[in-house]
Amino acid sequence: MKTTIAVLTAMTLAAGAFAAVEVGQPAPDFTGTTIDGKTIHLSDFKGKIVVIESYNADCPYCHNQYKTGAMQALQQELAAKGVVWLLVNSVNPNNPSHRTPEQAKAEMAAEKMHVTAWIDDSSGTIGHLYDMKTTPDMYVINKDGILVYEGAIDNQPDPFHDPAKARNYVREAVNSLLADKPVEISQTKPYGCSVKYAD
Amino acid sequence: MMAFLVGEAPAQNALPSFNDSLSAGHTQARLILSAEVARPGDTVWAGVDLKMEPGWHTYWKNSGAAGMPTKIQWHLPPGVTAGPVQWPLPEKFPPAEVTTYGYENEAVLLVPLTLAGNLPPGPLNLKANVSWLECSAEVCVPDQTNLEATLTIGGVSKNSEAAALLETWRKKIPQPATNCLVRAWWQTSAGDDTRPLVVAGNFTGVLAGAPPTVSDFYPAGSDAYELQAATEKLSLAGSDFAFRKIVKKFSGDWPKEISGVLVTEADGQRRGYEITVPVGEQPGAGALSVSPASGPPPVTGTVALPLMLLYAFIGGLILNIMPCVLPVIALKILGFVSEARSEPRRVRNLGFIYALGVLVSFLALAAVVIGLKAAGRHAGWGMQFGSPIFIVCLTTLVTLVALNLFGVFEVTAGGKILDAAGQLASRHGAPGAFFNGVLATVLATPCTAPVLATALGFAFLQNNPAIILLIFLFVGLGLAAPYVILSCSPAWLKFLPRPGPWMEQFKKAMGFPMLATAVWLFNLAYDDYGKGVFWLGMFLVGVALAAWVFGEFVQRGRAGKSVAWAVVVILLAGDYVFALEKGLHWRTAVPEMTTDSFSRTAGGIAWQPWSPQAVAAARAAGHPVLVDFTADWCVTCNVNRKIAIEVPSVENKLKELGVVTLVGDYTHFPDRITAELNRFHRAGVPLVLVYPKNPEAQPIVLPQLLTPGIVVEALDRAAR
Repeated sequence: MKTTIAVLTAMTLAAGAFAAVEVGQPAPDFTGTTIDGKTIHLSDFKGKIVVIESYNADCPYCHNQYKTGAMQALQQELAAKGVVWLLVNSVNPNNPSHRTPEQAKAEMAAEKMHVTAWIDDSSGTIGHLYDMKTTPDMYVINKDGILVYEGAIDNQPDPFHDPAKARNYVREAVNSLLADKPVEISQTKPYGCSVKYAD
Repeated sequence: MMAFLVGEAPAQNALPSFNDSLSAGHTQARLILSAEVARPGDTVWAGVDLKMEPGWHTYWKNSGAAGMPTKIQWHLPPGVTAGPVQWPLPEKFPPAEVTTYGYENEAVLLVPLTLAGNLPPGPLNLKANVSWLECSAEVCVPDQTNLEATLTIGGVSKNSEAAALLETWRKKIPQPATNCLVRAWWQTSAGDDTRPLVVAGNFTGVLAGAPPTVSDFYPAGSDAYELQAATEKLSLAGSDFAFRKIVKKFSGDWPKEISGVLVTEADGQRRGYEITVPVGEQPGAGALSVSPASGPPPVTGTVALPLMLLYAFIGGLILNIMPCVLPVIALKILGFVSEARSEPRRVRNLGFIYALGVLVSFLALAAVVIGLKAAGRHAGWGMQFGSPIFIVCLTTLVTLVALNLFGVFEVTAGGKILDAAGQLASRHGAPGAFFNGVLATVLATPCTAPVLATALGFAFLQNNPAIILLIFLFVGLGLAAPYVILSCSPAWLKFLPRPGPWMEQFKKAMGFPMLATAVWLFNLAYDDYGKGVFWLGMFLVGVALAAWVFGEFVQRGRAGKSVAWAVVVILLAGDYVFALEKGLHWRTAVPEMTTDSFSRTAGGIAWQPWSPQAVAAARAAGHPVLVDFTADWCVTCNVNRKIAIEVPSVENKLKELGVVTLVGDYTHFPDRITAELNRFHRAGVPLVLVYPKNPEAQPIVLPQLLTPGIVVEALDRAAR
């Protein structure tokens, strides 16, 4: 419980972060605590492409991406290209799908996740700021801090498909940025489970 | 049932024991059928009955901001075709930021199964794989299962035990919004990727009791945009309901139309109505539309009152040359010739009196429509032709007019019409002109002229009596306009031939088209009275005899006029009692005998009776559908059918494309067809629709006057 309170207090919003999240506009800055207890800001990663993933291990849509290894493969592929990957878990502490930092670390290792940081957002602050609706819900931010993609991970909104055969919008967006091309699909309807925010 | 455990091996270390709530099995599914035994060619309802544990739910066809619609994948034997899933009205689940639509406790998803006509008798095994996402407030679990049911094909159909349950759930499927006019428009110009949309509507006056309260709107899903969950109610002058939704665009252009389900509450009951509304840029421009999943009418463009009044006027003009009104034209021509040598002022006055007759009749019609709407009844153009009593009266009247033209008796008290024209004062001409106006109106109603249909359809859906009145007035003005203009321009009258004995001959000749009209009306009466029309014929002969006695011995007789009068009265009274009352039982017509059993083969086309279910079933089986809404008294309909449908080129096309042909018989004004016509903004027949075989596509509304080319082209489009 102590940890939870510590996490909650650690969650403060940077000034100006109340701006709405909109594709083509600067992504609002935020402050979060990682499961290692470190405090990070979005602005720490200025000059790099950032991917934000809203996550819930128990949601079948997220689970499908991980059990097939597709999400880890994407994380690894993009990490090799210098992309920052922030995983945001906004499940509230009373939900059975909530993860304590210890559980989260174990899950990260077991699933062989390849992310820059897992941010414990059990207060839902970042989730609400970014208007995250579903798990997964994906955001791609360019080197100048502009949001260039928001929405679904891919074009197969069901928890049974083979992600390798789907059209992955995040990979497309990042590759377009790296190739200095405009992002073709910049917004889609996110699919998945609802984010389990605190009431 | 496949249990889908989330987390698997690695999660065991990391997770406390949540396995209980994370395992599947919170929803039980079974497959039920409305029939145990069904005949080849039948449509059987199948239902996937999902029972959820308390606290768990599954999703609607648009699951909302999260979740997944339940999917049904059929594995059916050859000859059995599944139609689209019919979803019962769902509930809306909080929280506000991630609202979803779905079902708690139980939901039966319905699917029409069409059986081919050539299925051999015996049992059939129907299989479906059903997959769904079940969620509680805390977690979501996907699950799936294979379901089976057996249907026996036999000679006599037999309902199953589940039929009643299916019927209960069938009532929960949102219905087409036939009694509702809805408009939608953007509140702001396009800018950001969210935009407020205003939806407003009115219930048309065909509802029994107080209009329901619209409590919410559940949008249909789309990948390109999303109507967010919050429904902000507005109060808007002149609208029964109005609300605002925020639309978020993901890709492409802003939607041109939106669809979804209006949720209403009345008497503690929730009901859903399917609507599809074009979205206008401004409040005024929001086009009207009503519509259903089975086929929203493609009503586009703006419907402004001035335009409708113009349509009404032009429609009235065109009515002059429709076959229904032609006999009256004969009378009018005669009237002009006989008046031609009178003073211009007198001619003009008679023209105006004729117009007055037309207008008064149209006002009376408008009053009837307004009255019926106020009383909560359906109103339709030409509906008086659905009343057998009206038909008997009109047949009698038209027969008398013909006899009058033949010279059997005179209407004017002053003797011959020529005398009346030449010498007698306007008081003799005036009632005649007025009567002609009334007659023209009465005979005009079974002919819905093109153009007029649009305006009348608009009028019949209005709640505002002033608008109904105005539109009817303009139709009347259109009908009367040519005569008023002619009688005001004496220059034109110069070209008329001189009056002379030829006029008497012309008048008699014109009696024959009038007699033809009488025969046509007589024929309509056959539908109501069957063979009893013999007595109507005898009654008409009696009336004719009385008219002759009246003309010969009362009007032209020298002596014994009072005796002749007595004979006329006795003849008419006896005729009435024996022929109409005792013979025909004219006030108690044989109830509609044809409406629902209307199927026949004509010109190689097998017409089946129309019903929304028949349309859905045929489309579900992959057939395009042609629907002909017609009535025996509708001249245009019958002309269309003869020259543009029951012709070899169209018949071959129908066969080649496997088109199912349905006929909706409007002769007796069944309410369900009135409702369907209103849905397409028509107040009457003809209405010919072609439904594409793709059940999602909109029906094609054919024009009022058809050619084989138009029909063939529409069929080709529908088969694509």
